[in-house]
Amino acid sequence: MSRQPSVLRLRCPAQSRFVASLRHALVSFLRAHDFKGQQLDDVTTAAGEALANVVEHAYTAAASQVDAYIGLRANVDAKGTLALEVYDGGAFVERRPTRGRGFGLRIIRAIAGRLTIDTSNGTRLRMIFERKR
Amino acid sequence: MNEAEPVKVIRLTGELEIGRKNEIRSTLRAPADGTPVLLDLAGVTYADSIALTELLRFCAEAQQVGQPVALVIQTPQFARLIQYAGLATVFKVFAEPAEALAYLTESPRQ
Repeated sequence: MSRQPSVLRLRCPAQSRFVASLRHALVSFLRAHDFKGQQLDDVTTAAGEALANVVEHAYTAAASQVDAYIGLRANVDAKGTLALEVYDGGAFVERRPTRGRGFGLRIIRAIAGRLTIDTSNGTRLRMIFERKR
Repeated sequence: MNEAEPVKVIRLTGELEIGRKNEIRSTLRAPADGTPVLLDLAGVTYADSIALTELLRFCAEAQQVGQPVALVIQTPQFARLIQYAGLATVFKVFAEPAEALAYLTESPRQ
């Protein structure tokens, strides 16, 4: 039985104390759409890394902190395809994993088979997942 | 385990994520006397790369003074995170505390 398309949209200040709440909301949304097991863990892990990257790197000290935000958008279509986006208004910084830093994107790339990063206006990281049965 | 060669146990539980970065960092303090450390992470329900970075720092500091460290990890998400980060060979990870303890008490010291 197919479900109706459904969207989760969240936005909050780009501060570390909000990341867990965003992730928990995503987990609830995904569970409601029958994501489970390792795939639920993996999608949650990738989202958590993307969110943490925004907090750690998107907004530099030189940038205005007035509207430093994190956005999360998750859309599950009727076929069970999840489009997950994490976005911000800051600057994209890709770090090579060195001296124990910069693992976030490596982890995301290991999980997300389909990943795009749009840096034309802030940064929008988009991942696509097909729900597993 | 005997009195001449004790093992220090450091335990972290719950979600090891960016919001707890300072707490994780302050908890992961290596003993100054080279005592082997068992990091009991069996009660961790989620971990991110921020936690991995702190664990790496801790293990690197311990390695500098020849201090063995063993991690107990039972959560699949946490174990996979280490694999995805390419760190599978960096940490000594065990599924059971007894295995970690055996490694710490039986491996030769420098």
